[in-house]
Amino acid sequence: MTSAAQVRPPLPGTRRRSGLSRRGVLRSVVIYVSFAVFAAWVVLPLWFTAMSAISQPAEMVARPPHWIPLRPTLENFEAVFGTASKARNSSDQNARILLSLSWSLIIGVSVAVLNLLIGGLAAYGYSRFRFPGSRSGYVFLLVSRVVPAIAIITPFFIAFRVTGLINTPFALIFSYFLFTLPLSIWLLRSYFDALSPEIEEAAMVDGASRLRILWIIVAPLAAPGLIATGLLVFLEAWSEFFYANVLTSQLTVPPLLASYNSLQTFSWNTLAAATVLSLIPPVLIAVIFQRYVVSGLSHGALK
Amino acid sequence: MSSDASLDGTASETPKQRSVRSGHSKLAAADRRFGLLLAIPATFIVLLLVGGPSLQTIVYSFEKVSFIGPTPFVGLDNYVRLLNSDEFKDSFRITTVYAAGFVLISTSLGLAFALLLNERFRGRGIARTLLIIPWAAPWLMVGIMWKWFIDADVGMFNGLLYQFGLIHDYVPFLANPSGALIVTIVAAAWRQASLSGLLFLAALQTIPPDLPEAATVDGASTLQRFRYVTLPWMRPVLMVVLVTNVIFGFLQFDVIYAMTQGGPGNSTTLLSILLYRQIFQFSNVGIGSAIAVVLGLVAFTVGLVFVKFLYRSESVYGRAVE
Repeated sequence: MTSAAQVRPPLPGTRRRSGLSRRGVLRSVVIYVSFAVFAAWVVLPLWFTAMSAISQPAEMVARPPHWIPLRPTLENFEAVFGTASKARNSSDQNARILLSLSWSLIIGVSVAVLNLLIGGLAAYGYSRFRFPGSRSGYVFLLVSRVVPAIAIITPFFIAFRVTGLINTPFALIFSYFLFTLPLSIWLLRSYFDALSPEIEEAAMVDGASRLRILWIIVAPLAAPGLIATGLLVFLEAWSEFFYANVLTSQLTVPPLLASYNSLQTFSWNTLAAATVLSLIPPVLIAVIFQRYVVSGLSHGALK
Repeated sequence: MSSDASLDGTASETPKQRSVRSGHSKLAAADRRFGLLLAIPATFIVLLLVGGPSLQTIVYSFEKVSFIGPTPFVGLDNYVRLLNSDEFKDSFRITTVYAAGFVLISTSLGLAFALLLNERFRGRGIARTLLIIPWAAPWLMVGIMWKWFIDADVGMFNGLLYQFGLIHDYVPFLANPSGALIVTIVAAAWRQASLSGLLFLAALQTIPPDLPEAATVDGASTLQRFRYVTLPWMRPVLMVVLVTNVIFGFLQFDVIYAMTQGGPGNSTTLLSILLYRQIFQFSNVGIGSAIAVVLGLVAFTVGLVFVKFLYRSESVYGRAVE
């Protein structure tokens, strides 16, 4: 107690200068211990998955465990791609991963583009203009976010089956578009609201049409918002499992991995390789476009 | 694309001429029309295709439906059968426990992470990048990773405990009912703590720096600063994060599907799993839809709190994204 009192400088402002004060050391210790715990919490499951992907099954049961494989291998990736010569995990499920990755990519991009086009127009309309029903229409869009997609799947399942769209990418593009549209409008509107309408008004006076203003002036200024929204929608489509599982037979990555996960013939190591492959795109996007993604998330939640 | 295309049908007139001729009222009318034209497609798409299926699901919940044949109206029969079934009551209880644990862990960890990453220290940039990674992982992959991470044969978590001498033999956590519930909660919270942390951190960064400084000059301790400066500032965000987490907790499906499929026994059979089984394994669309309505009502009630809050607060707060 007394020593702590002695260390404390007389004025609050001077405390920071004494970098090696006991308080400062304590602060550093607390921070770095917390940082280590935080890093372990985040990294361990991922580390385990990545190491499993390059380990041989025999090595997985070693006790104490090998934190880094002694004899790393690419066999698991070969098995996933269906190019393994010995075909250790031979199954007709092999080699479907590339197809599923491509479909996930195509579906994600399509849903993002549709959202930016149709959602962007609506968001601009709600942001800039007051018209009969503008308030109730917008409140309705907000309220529709509350409907859980998982609760209303039956009508979609029946409708897609009747129209023969079941097990096609259209079924997923269509339903993902519907469920992300209110979110995109909400997000994009908050970005449009932040732009001053003065430039648009000046362009109006100069005789530019409203659509031209939207395309030439507003879209470039709102680019960060468009990028953030597009990325969030893409990640959402990439992640979706419930609809993909019910409406298609393992068209996209998540239901394919779920089927690997339930197959006894698939070792965890092969599944880990497939998991790593399908985690790389969303993790890369989130890390590289961190600024946009975080901006989008906090606009969605806080703006 | 023709650059002068105008949707309001008055392309021959420039807005300038129009405002000169008839003043603002005509311009305002054109604005109204343009705004309406922009908003109509998206709004009607959602109205018809989210509103329609929602109503249809409610209708199904009053019918005896399988995927083939007629669908006779049975009134409240499906709901009565649900309320009399132990499976549903158990599932409702399990879902509530699941959601409560999920909310508690992901919110408090998220807040702790955000407070840590708001401090200045070497490595903070890396730490902030780490924070976003669990959020980027799809729910299903989170379930798969955790299922094997805590596995009793190959799992690294058991290896960790073993190496530190905490256990002498690997523990099959998922084989035990309460163990399975806890582990599936922790796995899902692994991702959600990251989203909560990102949102909390964004809010912490908007605190004007002179606010805590003034409190320090006034002699406030670290704890007092947290209690009287940080916490009040964070209250709106906390509200948003809590509501988001409650909804995510009640609707969780993917993580359970990947880890336990509802087992062992029915110990992790959340309402979402029950719904999936009733509709797609037993073709009991009526019963499944009644469960869907219950889930929807829970989400709606929680969401309503949020919308009310949204319109009461000065600034606008929205529901976070997934």
